[in-house]
Amino acid sequence: MLEILTRIADETGIYSAMNSPWGWPTAESIHFLGLCLLIGTVGVFDLRMLGLGKGINYADLHKLVKFGVAGYFLNVVTGIMFLTSAPDQYIYNPAFQTKILFMLLAGLNMLFFYATTSGQVKSTSAQAIVSIRARGIAVVSLLSWAVIIICGRLITYFRPPYHWCFWC
Amino acid sequence: MAVVVGINFAIALRLLGWIPQFHLNSVKSFYRVHWLGVYAVFLSGAGLLLAYPAKALTNPVFYLKFITLTIGLILADWLQRKITDSSIADLSPKKIKAVAATSIMLWIITITAGRFLAYTHSVLLASRFF
Repeated sequence: MLEILTRIADETGIYSAMNSPWGWPTAESIHFLGLCLLIGTVGVFDLRMLGLGKGINYADLHKLVKFGVAGYFLNVVTGIMFLTSAPDQYIYNPAFQTKILFMLLAGLNMLFFYATTSGQVKSTSAQAIVSIRARGIAVVSLLSWAVIIICGRLITYFRPPYHWCFWC
Repeated sequence: MAVVVGINFAIALRLLGWIPQFHLNSVKSFYRVHWLGVYAVFLSGAGLLLAYPAKALTNPVFYLKFITLTIGLILADWLQRKITDSSIADLSPKKIKAVAATSIMLWIITITAGRFLAYTHSVLLASRFF
């Protein structure tokens, strides 16, 4: 696994770009901006489903989600750049593993929302409250993204076992 | 920070007309969440500054972040007042779009400066000078 990721980084030029003086902080800045876009759109829509911003039409606010998708795309691209440039910092890292788990949960939650609830939410009047299921989906989404952000920050504070594990 | 910047982005996108023109008065409750986020940013930022004052205060990038963050928050407060008393309707569309674009730019600089802070410091502890 490590070799495959390292080879991808070498052959695509990601490794040299990320190890240039500006590479890593620039990718991190883009990663954070993508995250802000995601929270400002998907997070705001989740908060709307939980009752904030009464009077804003759900279908209108849902148009923000396309910017969230753009933010998610930025996060995936920069995330792959981090992972392939320093795979041992990520794949053995419990914070990264938890982050991926909650990204999966957020993704499944989103699929469940679009399969079962989005049509009903979009046709709900701006003054009405959405169903309990929709509010549950919003809570799961907000909690998942909170855990993803926290774990993302914690990744930095882990070092691969060969730095500290004398018995490994 | 994601909550603060995210909500400012969402309001700026609305002001730029990139999403449907829902009534701005309804975004008031999002500002409550926004200011809660600002308190969290202030508290965690103060903690980081107190922990490593020399690291931040000797780095010009820290001042860039501080200035853009402050202007961004002043702009957010000004916008919130304009939205709350509905006087935003008195502004020309050109001015509203300029304010929204400025807000987005300020937050992009704040985030970028914040990330570069970790890589640009030349001093970690003040004890280096003693």
